[in-house]
Amino acid sequence: MKPNILRAAIAALMLIAGANAAEAHIVAARLGDFYMGVVHPLTDLGDVVLWTATGVLAGTLGGAKGRWLIPVFPLGLLAGLLLGHVFGAVSTQLADAAMMLAIGMLLAAAAQVPTALLCAMAFVVAVIRGAANGADLAPETDRVLFAAGLACVGYAAITLTMALTAAFRRTAADSATSWRAIAVRALGGWIAAIGLMMASLALAS
Amino acid sequence: MSFRLPLTTAIVSLALMQPALAHEQAGVAGGLVSGLLHPITGIDHLIAMVAVGIWGAQLGAPAIWILPITFPLVMAIGGVLGVLHVPLPFPEVMIAASAVILGIAVAARLRLPFAAAAIVVAVFAIFHGHAHGAELPRAANALAYGVGFVTATGLLHLCGIAIGTLTRWPAGERVIQGLGAGIAAIGCYFLAQGVGAFA
Repeated sequence: MKPNILRAAIAALMLIAGANAAEAHIVAARLGDFYMGVVHPLTDLGDVVLWTATGVLAGTLGGAKGRWLIPVFPLGLLAGLLLGHVFGAVSTQLADAAMMLAIGMLLAAAAQVPTALLCAMAFVVAVIRGAANGADLAPETDRVLFAAGLACVGYAAITLTMALTAAFRRTAADSATSWRAIAVRALGGWIAAIGLMMASLALAS
Repeated sequence: MSFRLPLTTAIVSLALMQPALAHEQAGVAGGLVSGLLHPITGIDHLIAMVAVGIWGAQLGAPAIWILPITFPLVMAIGGVLGVLHVPLPFPEVMIAASAVILGIAVAARLRLPFAAAAIVVAVFAIFHGHAHGAELPRAANALAYGVGFVTATGLLHLCGIAIGTLTRWPAGERVIQGLGAGIAAIGCYFLAQGVGAFA
Protein backbone atom coordinates (compact mmCIF):
# COMPACT_ATOMS: atom_id res chain seq x y z
CA MET A 1 0.00 0.00 0.00
CA LYS A 2 2.75 2.41 0.98
CA PRO A 3 4.61 2.27 -2.35
CA ASN A 4 1.31 3.02 -4.11
CA ILE A 5 0.84 6.24 -2.15
CA LEU A 6 4.47 7.15 -2.78
CA ARG A 7 4.06 6.50 -6.48
CA ALA A 8 0.92 8.60 -6.63
CA ALA A 9 2.68 11.39 -4.77
CA ILE A 10 5.61 11.34 -7.17
CA ALA A 11 3.31 11.29 -10.17
CA ALA A 12 1.41 14.25 -8.76
CA LEU A 13 4.65 16.13 -8.11
CA MET A 14 5.85 15.52 -11.63
CA LEU A 15 2.53 16.73 -12.98
CA ILE A 16 2.82 19.95 -11.00
CA ALA A 17 6.41 20.43 -12.14
CA GLY A 18 5.35 19.80 -15.71
CA ALA A 19 2.55 22.32 -15.52
CA ASN A 20 5.03 24.98 -14.48
CA ALA A 21 7.43 24.18 -17.27
CA ALA A 22 4.66 24.56 -19.82
CA GLU A 23 4.15 28.16 -18.79
CA ALA A 24 7.78 28.90 -19.68
CA HIS A 25 8.78 30.03 -16.20
CA ILE A 26 12.19 28.47 -16.65
CA VAL A 27 12.88 30.53 -19.70
CA ALA A 28 11.91 33.65 -17.82
CA ALA A 29 14.50 32.75 -15.17
CA ARG A 30 17.22 32.87 -17.86
CA LEU A 31 18.12 29.25 -17.34
CA GLY A 32 16.15 28.23 -20.39
CA ASP A 33 19.21 28.08 -22.59
CA PHE A 34 20.86 25.63 -20.22
CA TYR A 35 17.92 23.28 -20.57
CA MET A 36 17.89 23.89 -24.28
CA GLY A 37 21.48 22.70 -24.41
CA VAL A 38 20.49 19.61 -22.44
CA VAL A 39 17.44 18.69 -24.47
CA HIS A 40 18.50 19.81 -27.94
CA PRO A 41 20.79 16.82 -28.68
CA LEU A 42 18.32 14.37 -27.16
CA THR A 43 15.70 15.39 -29.70
CA ASP A 44 18.01 14.90 -32.68
CA LEU A 45 18.16 11.42 -34.14
CA GLY A 46 21.73 11.94 -35.38
CA ASP A 47 22.94 12.76 -31.88
CA VAL A 48 21.09 9.87 -30.31
CA VAL A 49 22.46 7.29 -32.76
CA LEU A 50 26.05 8.58 -32.77
CA TRP A 51 26.32 9.15 -29.03
CA THR A 52 24.90 5.72 -28.33
CA ALA A 53 27.32 4.14 -30.80
CA THR A 54 30.29 5.88 -29.20
CA GLY A 55 29.22 4.94 -25.69
CA VAL A 56 28.56 1.32 -26.61
CA LEU A 57 31.94 1.02 -28.34
CA ALA A 58 33.70 2.44 -25.26
CA GLY A 59 31.66 0.20 -22.98
CA THR A 60 32.62 -2.96 -24.87
CA LEU A 61 36.31 -2.03 -24.64
CA GLY A 62 36.08 -1.94 -20.86
CA GLY A 63 36.44 0.70 -18.18
CA ALA A 64 40.21 1.14 -18.44
CA LYS A 65 39.92 2.49 -21.99
CA GLY A 66 36.41 3.88 -21.83
CA ARG A 67 36.93 6.17 -18.86
CA TRP A 68 39.05 8.47 -21.00
CA LEU A 69 35.91 9.47 -22.86
CA ILE A 70 34.36 10.95 -19.72
CA PRO A 71 36.45 14.14 -20.12
CA VAL A 72 37.16 13.82 -23.87
CA PHE A 73 33.57 13.69 -25.08
CA PRO A 74 32.15 16.80 -23.33
CA LEU A 75 35.31 18.74 -24.22
CA GLY A 76 34.86 17.71 -27.84
CA LEU A 77 31.27 18.97 -27.76
CA LEU A 78 32.48 22.32 -26.45
CA ALA A 79 35.19 22.49 -29.11
CA GLY A 80 32.63 21.72 -31.82
CA LEU A 81 30.32 24.39 -30.46
CA LEU A 82 33.15 26.93 -30.58
CA LEU A 83 34.23 25.86 -34.06
CA GLY A 84 30.64 25.72 -35.31
CA HIS A 85 30.83 29.03 -37.14
CA VAL A 86 33.96 27.88 -38.99
CA PHE A 87 32.01 25.12 -40.69
CA GLY A 88 29.17 27.52 -41.31
CA ALA A 89 25.95 26.11 -42.62
CA VAL A 90 27.56 23.01 -44.16
CA SER A 91 25.43 19.99 -43.39
CA THR A 92 27.13 17.42 -41.19
CA GLN A 93 25.11 14.61 -42.74
CA LEU A 94 27.99 12.96 -44.60
CA ALA A 95 30.37 13.23 -41.66
CA ASP A 96 27.68 11.76 -39.39
CA ALA A 97 27.16 8.87 -41.77
CA ALA A 98 30.89 8.19 -42.08
CA MET A 99 31.33 8.11 -38.30
CA MET A 100 28.32 5.81 -37.90
CA LEU A 101 29.77 3.46 -40.49
CA ALA A 102 33.24 3.49 -38.89
CA ILE A 103 32.07 2.99 -35.31
CA GLY A 104 29.47 0.41 -36.35
CA MET A 105 32.07 -1.62 -38.25
CA LEU A 106 34.47 -1.56 -35.28
CA LEU A 107 31.64 -2.70 -33.00
CA ALA A 108 30.52 -5.44 -35.38
CA ALA A 109 34.07 -6.73 -35.77
CA ALA A 110 34.56 -6.61 -31.98
CA ALA A 111 37.87 -4.92 -32.71
CA GLN A 112 40.26 -4.16 -29.87
CA VAL A 113 40.53 -0.45 -30.57
CA PRO A 114 43.56 1.23 -28.96
CA THR A 115 42.80 3.92 -26.41
CA ALA A 116 44.24 6.73 -28.52
CA LEU A 117 42.10 5.81 -31.54
CA LEU A 118 39.00 5.48 -29.36
CA CYS A 119 39.59 8.92 -27.87
CA ALA A 120 40.27 10.42 -31.29
CA MET A 121 37.06 8.97 -32.77
CA ALA A 122 34.98 10.08 -29.80
CA PHE A 123 36.50 13.56 -30.07
CA VAL A 124 35.68 13.74 -33.78
CA VAL A 125 32.11 12.62 -33.13
CA ALA A 126 31.78 15.17 -30.36
CA VAL A 127 33.18 18.00 -32.50
CA ILE A 128 30.84 17.17 -35.41
CA ARG A 129 27.80 16.95 -33.20
CA GLY A 130 28.77 20.00 -31.16
CA ALA A 131 29.02 21.99 -34.39
CA ALA A 132 25.71 20.60 -35.60
CA ASN A 133 24.03 21.51 -32.33
CA GLY A 134 25.47 25.00 -32.45
CA ALA A 135 24.47 25.52 -36.07
CA ASP A 136 20.77 26.16 -35.45
CA LEU A 137 21.12 28.42 -32.43
CA ALA A 138 19.12 31.60 -32.47
CA PRO A 139 21.17 34.79 -32.03
CA GLU A 140 19.49 35.63 -28.74
CA THR A 141 20.52 32.29 -27.17
CA ASP A 142 22.93 32.55 -24.25
CA ARG A 143 25.83 30.53 -25.63
CA VAL A 144 27.53 29.93 -22.28
CA LEU A 145 24.42 28.42 -20.75
CA PHE A 146 23.76 26.38 -23.89
CA ALA A 147 27.35 25.08 -23.88
CA ALA A 148 27.12 24.18 -20.20
CA GLY A 149 23.93 22.23 -20.79
CA LEU A 150 25.38 20.49 -23.84
CA ALA A 151 28.56 19.48 -21.97
CA CYS A 152 26.54 18.19 -19.01
CA VAL A 153 24.25 16.07 -21.14
CA GLY A 154 27.22 14.79 -23.16
CA TYR A 155 28.96 13.73 -19.97
CA ALA A 156 25.84 12.06 -18.60
CA ALA A 157 24.89 10.31 -21.82
CA ILE A 158 28.33 8.93 -22.62
CA THR A 159 28.96 7.77 -19.04
CA LEU A 160 25.56 6.11 -18.71
CA THR A 161 25.79 4.38 -22.10
CA MET A 162 29.26 3.07 -21.28
CA ALA A 163 28.19 1.85 -17.86
CA LEU A 164 25.06 0.16 -19.20
CA THR A 165 27.02 -1.57 -21.96
CA ALA A 166 29.71 -2.73 -19.57
CA ALA A 167 27.05 -4.06 -17.21
CA PHE A 168 25.26 -5.78 -20.09
CA ARG A 169 28.45 -7.43 -21.31
CA ARG A 170 29.23 -8.37 -17.67
CA THR A 171 32.91 -9.23 -18.15
CA ALA A 172 35.49 -8.26 -20.71
CA ALA A 173 36.56 -11.88 -20.93
CA ASP A 174 33.12 -13.02 -22.11
CA SER A 175 33.35 -15.72 -24.72
CA ALA A 176 33.06 -14.33 -28.23
CA THR A 177 29.90 -16.30 -28.95
CA SER A 178 27.82 -15.53 -25.86
CA TRP A 179 24.49 -14.03 -26.86
CA ARG A 180 25.28 -10.82 -25.02
CA ALA A 181 28.45 -10.26 -27.03
CA ILE A 182 26.56 -11.12 -30.23
CA ALA A 183 23.76 -8.70 -29.39
CA VAL A 184 26.27 -5.86 -29.01
CA ARG A 185 28.02 -6.79 -32.25
CA ALA A 186 24.68 -7.03 -34.07
CA LEU A 187 23.87 -3.53 -32.83
CA GLY A 188 27.15 -2.43 -34.38
CA GLY A 189 26.16 -4.05 -37.66
CA TRP A 190 22.83 -2.21 -37.59
CA ILE A 191 24.52 1.12 -36.88
CA ALA A 192 26.98 0.58 -39.71
CA ALA A 193 24.10 -0.29 -42.04
CA ILE A 194 22.26 2.89 -41.01
CA GLY A 195 25.41 4.90 -41.71
CA LEU A 196 25.77 3.31 -45.13
CA MET A 197 22.14 4.01 -46.08
CA MET A 198 22.40 7.57 -44.82
CA ALA A 199 25.62 8.21 -46.72
CA SER A 200 24.13 7.01 -49.99
CA LEU A 201 20.97 9.04 -49.48
CA ALA A 202 23.02 12.12 -48.68
CA LEU A 203 25.11 11.59 -51.81
CA ALA A 204 22.09 10.94 -54.02
CA SER A 205 20.03 13.91 -52.93
CA MET B 1 8.38 -3.95 -6.33
CA SER B 2 11.75 -2.25 -6.16
CA PHE B 3 11.69 -1.64 -9.91
CA ARG B 4 8.18 -0.25 -10.15
CA LEU B 5 8.70 3.05 -8.41
CA PRO B 6 11.54 4.23 -10.67
CA LEU B 7 9.62 2.86 -13.63
CA THR B 8 6.55 4.89 -12.79
CA THR B 9 8.68 7.96 -12.29
CA ALA B 10 10.38 7.43 -15.61
CA ILE B 11 7.07 6.93 -17.43
CA VAL B 12 5.52 10.01 -15.90
CA SER B 13 8.52 12.19 -16.64
CA LEU B 14 8.73 10.85 -20.19
CA ALA B 15 5.05 11.56 -20.71
CA LEU B 16 5.65 15.10 -19.56
CA MET B 17 8.62 15.71 -21.82
CA GLN B 18 7.64 18.59 -23.98
CA PRO B 19 8.71 19.01 -27.58
CA ALA B 20 8.61 22.71 -26.84
CA LEU B 21 11.97 23.56 -28.39
CA ALA B 22 11.79 24.90 -31.87
CA HIS B 23 13.73 21.99 -33.24
CA GLU B 24 13.03 21.44 -36.88
CA GLN B 25 13.33 17.79 -37.74
CA ALA B 26 11.46 17.80 -40.99
CA GLY B 27 10.43 14.42 -42.24
CA VAL B 28 11.69 12.41 -39.27
CA ALA B 29 8.35 10.83 -38.46
CA GLY B 30 7.59 10.17 -42.11
CA GLY B 31 11.05 8.77 -42.74
CA LEU B 32 10.88 6.47 -39.73
CA VAL B 33 7.44 5.18 -40.62
CA SER B 34 8.20 4.58 -44.29
CA GLY B 35 11.53 2.97 -43.38
CA LEU B 36 9.88 0.70 -40.85
CA LEU B 37 6.92 -0.21 -43.02
CA HIS B 38 8.70 -0.71 -46.33
CA PRO B 39 10.31 -4.07 -45.52
CA ILE B 40 7.16 -5.29 -43.79
CA THR B 41 4.51 -4.41 -46.35
CA GLY B 42 5.90 -6.45 -49.22
CA ILE B 43 4.98 -10.07 -48.58
CA ASP B 44 7.76 -11.37 -50.82
CA HIS B 45 10.35 -9.37 -48.84
CA LEU B 46 8.88 -10.32 -45.49
CA ILE B 47 8.85 -14.08 -46.02
CA ALA B 48 12.38 -14.07 -47.45
CA MET B 49 13.74 -12.11 -44.47
CA VAL B 50 12.09 -14.47 -42.00
CA ALA B 51 13.33 -17.47 -44.01
CA VAL B 52 16.92 -16.22 -43.73
CA GLY B 53 16.57 -16.09 -39.94
CA ILE B 54 15.04 -19.58 -39.76
CA TRP B 55 17.69 -21.04 -42.03
CA GLY B 56 20.44 -19.41 -39.96
CA ALA B 57 18.99 -20.96 -36.81
CA GLN B 58 18.80 -24.37 -38.54
CA LEU B 59 22.42 -24.15 -39.64
CA GLY B 60 23.48 -23.41 -36.07
CA ALA B 61 26.86 -21.91 -35.23
CA PRO B 62 28.52 -19.98 -36.78
CA ALA B 63 25.65 -18.93 -39.09
CA ILE B 64 23.25 -18.16 -36.25
CA TRP B 65 25.54 -15.48 -34.86
CA ILE B 66 27.28 -14.18 -37.96
CA LEU B 67 24.11 -13.58 -39.99
CA PRO B 68 22.43 -11.07 -37.61
CA ILE B 69 25.67 -9.05 -37.54
CA THR B 70 26.36 -8.95 -41.27
CA PHE B 71 22.93 -9.28 -42.87
CA PRO B 72 21.70 -5.68 -42.36
CA LEU B 73 25.08 -4.46 -43.58
CA VAL B 74 24.94 -6.44 -46.82
CA MET B 75 21.37 -5.28 -47.32
CA ALA B 76 22.49 -1.71 -46.86
CA ILE B 77 25.11 -2.24 -49.59
CA GLY B 78 22.27 -3.34 -51.86
CA GLY B 79 20.34 -0.30 -50.67
CA VAL B 80 23.20 1.97 -51.72
CA LEU B 81 23.16 0.42 -55.20
CA GLY B 82 19.40 0.98 -55.31
CA VAL B 83 19.60 4.60 -54.21
CA LEU B 84 22.28 5.32 -56.80
CA HIS B 85 20.11 3.50 -59.39
CA VAL B 86 22.75 0.98 -60.36
CA PRO B 87 20.73 -1.52 -62.40
CA LEU B 88 20.66 -5.15 -61.30
CA PRO B 89 19.33 -7.92 -63.60
CA PHE B 90 15.74 -9.11 -63.06
CA PRO B 91 15.19 -7.67 -59.56
CA GLU B 92 11.59 -8.87 -59.16
CA VAL B 93 12.42 -12.39 -60.36
CA MET B 94 15.45 -12.63 -58.10
CA ILE B 95 13.48 -11.53 -55.05
CA ALA B 96 10.77 -14.10 -55.70
CA ALA B 97 13.42 -16.72 -56.43
CA SER B 98 15.09 -15.93 -53.11
CA ALA B 99 11.87 -16.78 -51.27
CA VAL B 100 11.55 -20.03 -53.24
CA ILE B 101 15.14 -21.13 -52.68
CA LEU B 102 15.32 -20.09 -49.01
CA GLY B 103 11.94 -21.74 -48.38
CA ILE B 104 13.14 -24.97 -49.98
CA ALA B 105 16.38 -24.79 -47.98
CA VAL B 106 14.37 -24.52 -44.76
CA ALA B 107 11.91 -27.24 -45.75
CA ALA B 108 14.66 -29.66 -46.80
CA ARG B 109 16.90 -28.69 -43.86
CA LEU B 110 19.56 -28.08 -46.46
CA ARG B 111 22.98 -28.12 -44.81
CA LEU B 112 25.37 -26.13 -46.93
CA PRO B 113 28.89 -25.30 -45.77
CA PHE B 114 28.84 -21.91 -44.09
CA ALA B 115 30.72 -20.08 -46.86
CA ALA B 116 28.27 -21.31 -49.50
CA ALA B 117 25.25 -20.41 -47.38
CA ALA B 118 26.72 -16.98 -46.69
CA ILE B 119 27.19 -16.31 -50.41
CA VAL B 120 23.62 -17.38 -51.22
CA VAL B 121 22.22 -15.15 -48.48
CA ALA B 122 24.47 -12.23 -49.43
CA VAL B 123 23.42 -12.28 -53.09
CA PHE B 124 19.74 -12.28 -52.15
CA ALA B 125 20.31 -9.61 -49.49
CA ILE B 126 21.80 -7.28 -52.09
CA PHE B 127 18.75 -7.72 -54.33
CA HIS B 128 16.35 -7.07 -51.45
CA GLY B 129 18.30 -4.02 -50.34
CA HIS B 130 18.39 -2.76 -53.92
CA ALA B 131 14.60 -2.93 -54.17
CA HIS B 132 14.21 -0.96 -50.93
CA GLY B 133 16.74 1.63 -52.00
CA ALA B 134 15.27 2.12 -55.46
CA GLU B 135 11.72 2.64 -54.16
CA LEU B 136 12.81 5.12 -51.53
CA PRO B 137 10.72 8.24 -50.97
CA ARG B 138 12.81 11.27 -51.91
CA ALA B 139 11.49 13.68 -49.34
CA ALA B 140 12.14 11.55 -46.31
CA ASN B 141 14.81 12.31 -43.74
CA ALA B 142 17.74 10.07 -44.70
CA LEU B 143 18.78 9.09 -41.20
CA ALA B 144 15.23 8.37 -40.06
CA TYR B 145 14.60 6.21 -43.12
CA GLY B 146 17.84 4.30 -42.50
CA VAL B 147 17.00 3.72 -38.83
CA GLY B 148 13.51 2.48 -39.64
CA PHE B 149 14.64 0.31 -42.52
CA VAL B 150 17.49 -1.37 -40.64
CA THR B 151 15.39 -1.87 -37.51
CA ALA B 152 12.55 -3.50 -39.43
CA THR B 153 14.94 -5.78 -41.31
CA GLY B 154 16.79 -6.74 -38.15
CA LEU B 155 13.57 -7.45 -36.28
CA LEU B 156 12.26 -9.65 -39.11
CA HIS B 157 15.54 -11.52 -38.99
CA LEU B 158 15.16 -11.93 -35.20
CA CYS B 159 11.62 -13.25 -35.74
CA GLY B 160 13.10 -15.89 -38.03
CA ILE B 161 15.71 -16.87 -35.45
CA ALA B 162 13.03 -17.06 -32.75
CA ILE B 163 10.93 -19.32 -34.96
CA GLY B 164 14.09 -21.27 -35.76
CA THR B 165 14.66 -22.14 -32.10
CA LEU B 166 11.74 -24.55 -32.52
CA THR B 167 14.29 -26.89 -34.13
CA ARG B 168 15.26 -27.96 -30.63
CA TRP B 169 12.14 -30.10 -30.48
CA PRO B 170 11.36 -32.82 -33.02
CA ALA B 171 7.78 -31.65 -33.48
CA GLY B 172 8.98 -28.07 -33.88
CA GLU B 173 11.35 -29.20 -36.60
CA ARG B 174 8.35 -30.51 -38.55
CA VAL B 175 6.47 -27.25 -38.06
CA ILE B 176 9.45 -25.31 -39.41
CA GLN B 177 9.76 -27.55 -42.43
CA GLY B 178 6.08 -26.92 -43.10
CA LEU B 179 6.69 -23.17 -42.80
CA GLY B 180 9.59 -23.46 -45.23
CA ALA B 181 7.36 -25.23 -47.73
CA GLY B 182 4.76 -22.49 -47.30
CA ILE B 183 7.37 -19.80 -47.91
CA ALA B 184 8.56 -21.61 -51.01
CA ALA B 185 4.96 -21.85 -52.28
CA ILE B 186 4.33 -18.12 -51.78
CA GLY B 187 7.66 -17.48 -53.47
CA CYS B 188 6.49 -19.55 -56.44
CA TYR B 189 3.41 -17.36 -56.74
CA PHE B 190 5.52 -14.20 -56.86
CA LEU B 191 7.98 -15.87 -59.21
CA ALA B 192 5.18 -16.69 -61.63
CA GLN B 193 3.97 -13.10 -61.33
CA GLY B 194 7.52 -11.85 -61.88
CA VAL B 195 8.11 -13.76 -65.09
CA GLY B 196 4.72 -12.65 -66.34
CA ALA B 197 2.68 -15.86 -66.23
CA PHE B 198 -0.26 -13.72 -65.23
CA ALA B 199 -0.69 -10.03 -64.81
